[in-house]
Amino acid sequence: MGDLADQRGMETAVYQPAEDSKLLADVAVESVDDSDRVLDVGTGSGYVAGRIASETAASVVASDVNPHACRQARDNAREEAISLDVVRGDCTRPFDAETFDAVTFNPPYLPRDEAAERDDWMERALTGGETGRAVIESFLDDVARVLTPEGVVFLLVSTLTDIEAVAGYAAERNLAAETAREESFPFERLAILEITKKH
Amino acid sequence: MQESLLDIVCCPLDKSDLELEAIRRDDDEVLEGRLVCTECSEEYPIEDGIPNLLPPDMREA
Repeated sequence: MGDLADQRGMETAVYQPAEDSKLLADVAVESVDDSDRVLDVGTGSGYVAGRIASETAASVVASDVNPHACRQARDNAREEAISLDVVRGDCTRPFDAETFDAVTFNPPYLPRDEAAERDDWMERALTGGETGRAVIESFLDDVARVLTPEGVVFLLVSTLTDIEAVAGYAAERNLAAETAREESFPFERLAILEITKKH
Repeated sequence: MQESLLDIVCCPLDKSDLELEAIRRDDDEVLEGRLVCTECSEEYPIEDGIPNLLPPDMREA
């Protein structure tokens, strides 16, 4: 990827790590045990998956629906000699039941803005439909299936997405959501929801 | 993909096991090949070491 035009192309196709990615990686790294198997959904550049794989001994798989993201995540991991399997897939749907001790997800969460619509991979990385919750809800519909009985989800949410509505949707699917960490930024407050199966 | 990934992936349509048909490998992973559902026979390509496990109707882009 020496060509500058190619490089620019990549940056419009794959979401690059920002404050939200860092917050999610920090919480995940602190919580994951070395014997855990972890899935990072919507991995983008592979930043969160890479941090977990390099800072813990957990075995990490990364997935994304975007083929450019899958390639970039794989290239970045190989460059840094991080052991990481990358799978192109729709959220948790191509994984076996009761497989992961932890699942991390920094989802597309901005409500759709028609004036700014671009219809490309970056738009899909940022926006979650009218409410901002379409992809989050699709994720919550299947994630319990792949969690081990004591497994935990770390989901990044924003006040722009309506955190209460996300927690409510999780509760309807028999999942318990608690705020593990919060941080305020100029236009939004970000929270990491820790989601577990209700016992 | 490393072969150990086979233990944790499944067909996104019916959640059945997948069988690996490797075409090209290097020392530690499969670079080209396909994963085939043992139940519905749907084929999922592996390209540049990345298996594409999207259901067929989401694969276009």
